[in-house]
Amino acid sequence: MKLTVDGLPVYFPYEFIYPEQFAYMLELKRTLDAKGHGVLEMPSGTGKTVSLLSLIVAYQKVHPEEVSKLIYCSRTVPEIEKVMMELKKLVLYYNKETNTPSDLLALALSSRKNLCIHPEVKSLRLGKEVDGKCHSLTASYVRKNRSTDPTVPICSFFEEFDANGREVPMPAGVYNLQDIKEFAQRHNWCPYFLARYTLSHANVVVYSYHYLLDPKIADLVSREISKKAVVVFDEAHNIDNVCIDSLSVNINRRMLDRCSNNIEMLQSTIEKIKETDAMKLREEYQRMVEGLMEASVARETDVYMANPILPDDILKETVPGSIRTGEHFVGFLKRFVEYLKSRLRVNHVQAESPLAFLKELYDKVCIERKPLRFCAERLRCLLRTLEVANIIDLSPLTLICNFATLVSTYTKGFTLIIEPFEDKTPTISNPVLRFSCLDASIAIKPVFDRFQTVIITSGTLSPLDMYPKILDFRPVTIASFSMTLARTCLCPIIVGRGNDQVTMTSKFETREDIAVIRNYGTLLLELSGVVPDGIVCFFTSYMYMESIVASWYEQGILENIQRNKLIFIETQDGAETSMALEKYQEACENGRGAILLSVARGKVSEGIDFVHHYGRAVIMFGMPYVYTQSRILKARLEYLRDQFQIRENDFLTFDAMRHAAQCVGRAIRGKTDYGVMVFADKRYSRADKRGKLPRWIQEHITDGSLNLTIDEAVHISKHFLKLMAQPFSRDDQLGLSLLTLEQLQSEDMLRRIEQIAHQS
Amino acid sequence: MEEEGERTKRWEGDYERTWEVLKEDETGSLKASVDDIILQAKRRKLVHSHGKVRLGMMRHMFVVIDASRNMIDQDLKPSRLVSSLKLLELFVEEFFYQNPISQVGFITTRNKRAEQLTELGGMPKKHRAALQKAVEIQCLGEPSLYNSLYMALQTLRHVPSHSSREVLVVLGSLTTCDPFDLRSLMKTLNEFKVRVSVIGLSAEVHICTLLAQETGGTYHVILDEPHFKELLMYHVTPPPVTNMESSLIRMGFPQFSAGTVGDGADKPSFNMAQLESQGDVSLTLGGYFCPQCCAKYGQLPVECKICGLTLASASHLARSYHHLFPLEAFEETSLENISGDRVCEACQVQLTKQQVCICPECKAIFCLDCNLFIHESLHCCPGCIHSQS
Repeated sequence: MKLTVDGLPVYFPYEFIYPEQFAYMLELKRTLDAKGHGVLEMPSGTGKTVSLLSLIVAYQKVHPEEVSKLIYCSRTVPEIEKVMMELKKLVLYYNKETNTPSDLLALALSSRKNLCIHPEVKSLRLGKEVDGKCHSLTASYVRKNRSTDPTVPICSFFEEFDANGREVPMPAGVYNLQDIKEFAQRHNWCPYFLARYTLSHANVVVYSYHYLLDPKIADLVSREISKKAVVVFDEAHNIDNVCIDSLSVNINRRMLDRCSNNIEMLQSTIEKIKETDAMKLREEYQRMVEGLMEASVARETDVYMANPILPDDILKETVPGSIRTGEHFVGFLKRFVEYLKSRLRVNHVQAESPLAFLKELYDKVCIERKPLRFCAERLRCLLRTLEVANIIDLSPLTLICNFATLVSTYTKGFTLIIEPFEDKTPTISNPVLRFSCLDASIAIKPVFDRFQTVIITSGTLSPLDMYPKILDFRPVTIASFSMTLARTCLCPIIVGRGNDQVTMTSKFETREDIAVIRNYGTLLLELSGVVPDGIVCFFTSYMYMESIVASWYEQGILENIQRNKLIFIETQDGAETSMALEKYQEACENGRGAILLSVARGKVSEGIDFVHHYGRAVIMFGMPYVYTQSRILKARLEYLRDQFQIRENDFLTFDAMRHAAQCVGRAIRGKTDYGVMVFADKRYSRADKRGKLPRWIQEHITDGSLNLTIDEAVHISKHFLKLMAQPFSRDDQLGLSLLTLEQLQSEDMLRRIEQIAHQS
Repeated sequence: MEEEGERTKRWEGDYERTWEVLKEDETGSLKASVDDIILQAKRRKLVHSHGKVRLGMMRHMFVVIDASRNMIDQDLKPSRLVSSLKLLELFVEEFFYQNPISQVGFITTRNKRAEQLTELGGMPKKHRAALQKAVEIQCLGEPSLYNSLYMALQTLRHVPSHSSREVLVVLGSLTTCDPFDLRSLMKTLNEFKVRVSVIGLSAEVHICTLLAQETGGTYHVILDEPHFKELLMYHVTPPPVTNMESSLIRMGFPQFSAGTVGDGADKPSFNMAQLESQGDVSLTLGGYFCPQCCAKYGQLPVECKICGLTLASASHLARSYHHLFPLEAFEETSLENISGDRVCEACQVQLTKQQVCICPECKAIFCLDCNLFIHESLHCCPGCIHSQS
């Protein structure tokens, strides 16, 4: 249908539209007009993706000079494929309506592992191996050697691409990963480099968060992208953690040992080259003197290791003299690694700021801050000169150099913690040096600075004002959209007491209480008798889940539950979990019914949807507070309080509630879906907790669904499930939660749509 | 309200949030919203009309009764099982009244097994007796959809192809414990054109949705007891025929002879139906005599025990006849669209309510109550008949 959103003609590839989609587009349009950033929350399953795509593409068509590109960041490959599917539908609709083939060029980018077509390379399974093998076939010096020695293996696909691929731009169209591969295969080009090359002039780019947020990759991949792009982060409720992870480094003793080996290897290579080709080293030295601003043509493929955030001014400086020659640099690294080793020989926890670390480093082994900053870049140069083919072996050394650069570059927003053992095993010595980023805004700052519009969107972003705070940016629109429903298809209930009136909570003091555990068991048992097909349960941690399940077993509750449904458990082992998931779905499918016990913040809670019968009820046992004794968390909380005036408790609650919302949101993936959401902890009843749930859930929590007993909860669920089982057709939705074009244009409806978006 | 009579005790039902349903209009009156609720209820009864499709007259139906642990649940009073059995008794009666030449059989399932309660047969009495006795069944374990459907299929596959094959499952449990994958059985059921319908007593189970979808049946979940009854009665009307095969059937139409001298029934003889049931057997005068083998029966319709002929009376056929030509649904319009006399064609009452119905054939106007009566009991439009004569 052809819509007009605030004066902008938009092609929408479906016959019907949800009112909230229209409201969403309105807000989006305002954000684009204002050239600012936005935070938008809309429940999953209400067509966020298609609304985003159709509006931004339409905006591009009308104002090509203002918005030149859409960068859509998603989290996983399946999600990327989903976005491409919607985009294909949209383009098809454009072609049909305008009767001219669209000139839109859209493509998805993923790692080499997903894109490689070289028969030998793609047969490798691990992403790292594929990258390494690819590199050994395409690096510039390998190709140079080839011209003198034809026996050196190279990648024919890359050669072909390098020779011809850049001349003709890719024809317009929508290319998902498979399409790029097919297109490249036809021309015998390398799909990965083709995609990376095309990135700079495509209208729509869909790729993973890391290509923008991780400075090591972003510098390589996304440098060429123009400023007039719109960046969308979908499913962005965890974006702060992604930012932090991309700048954090963990170093343990094993890694340092391997590092020493790496250094020895480098040293011997240098010796060898010195005997055979001293010229080369001299050339390199010359380059160092001239500075890092080399305009290397072949740089594109030389992905030894990119720099973790190199501020621009460093690039203009020359490499300090102390690490200019290869031998000196290796010696320098050796000292550094030995120092780190000595630091790891501790018996008690140490925490210090990067500055203190640098000071001690200088005092003990006379390493200054400046050369440290050039470590990453210097290593990159050295490796290129030495023509080391297998960079995978060198990954520990790369990591150390990254760490060196990071620790000397940033003095604020980071902390250094050395722990002699893990919390769970306080007797086994396993020292770790954690260099942890505390400030999520550091990694994302370049993105906000560079692009005119950045949209952060997800199904669960409440409370909305928290994200601008922790990411340190000023959005022009902050809005939360509710879900218009023809029938109330979600049933959030807060169970706070057992039938014996004992308070149910996962609070630390009472979590081991036998009465609480028994009541949790009774809740699951009773619900398993009234909820059909699948039930998903979330616990606050693996440890808590294990202890609860063990005592359920002792009390015989587990046996009773198993009469109603089969039980599957998520474990920390990925393969085991996916096996359990598969069997769980099978049991839901064939009518036996199943229960999946899993953990908030685990794999299941993040990426896996439980549509329709796969999840008719979600039970959240307790509040998923993060492990508060962790030192990194403590440091982060302190930092947040000092820098952003966020109180510890506010942040902890916010974090717990977003994970709880994320977990219970797994069950409802659309308007025809329905499910019971059980919050089994008394603390959820409190207004400060409840108020942090997304609005579309909060709306349905009435006073009657607070602090219930198990019996009441079972009764409500039973009634709800019977109601939901009544026939429900599209006609029931039409006009209420599903609109045709005429209905959309009516005055009354427009007024109602205005109310869907809630600004905060 | 109307349904109040049916519901035996108000407090036994689910508690209702009556205050949420009712809304005041501008003048503060509740009448409009009460009227609306009544109207909705009436309309709901009429939704299932097929229009002009061929419906099967001869039906063979197995009713599978869940007797698993979940049937002890007391959300239906006194228990799910007892309540279901009681309603099924009513169902049997109504079923044979409307489908006199059809047959029904009952299967119970518990403890992962299926047991046959009664075989496929056309005697309502026998079934009702079995159902009454079934109250004593002890509810145990889990039901098995696979086993019970397999058992039904074993009998239904031998039924002649001109009659419909149906299974109705009354399922209280939310799980099924099957020896094999039910989906493989669905294919077989489909091959033999067995229609499986399910009435769920607790919530929507995915496998049942799939089962009904695959075999062309329906799947409903009850809200409360009156709704349960309504859903059961819905299965009294035959479903549209799926196999369009027609064939001639031999049938006997015995006349009742009162036992007066000269009509062949003046000598006392045994009633074949009584002999079978091993009750008090006595010699009687009079009855229906099979035209083929002269066996005597006290009641019609029945299948002759001796020669296997289906015996029925003409009135039986006439009763199921309307299924072949169902009355079309009337069009609903609002009162304002009607010009001229605003009087119901049937009951001659001045029309006051907003909604009225018009017969698409003769354009006669009816009130909602008459519409309901015409479609549920009369099965022919008085307006059309009037204009014919």
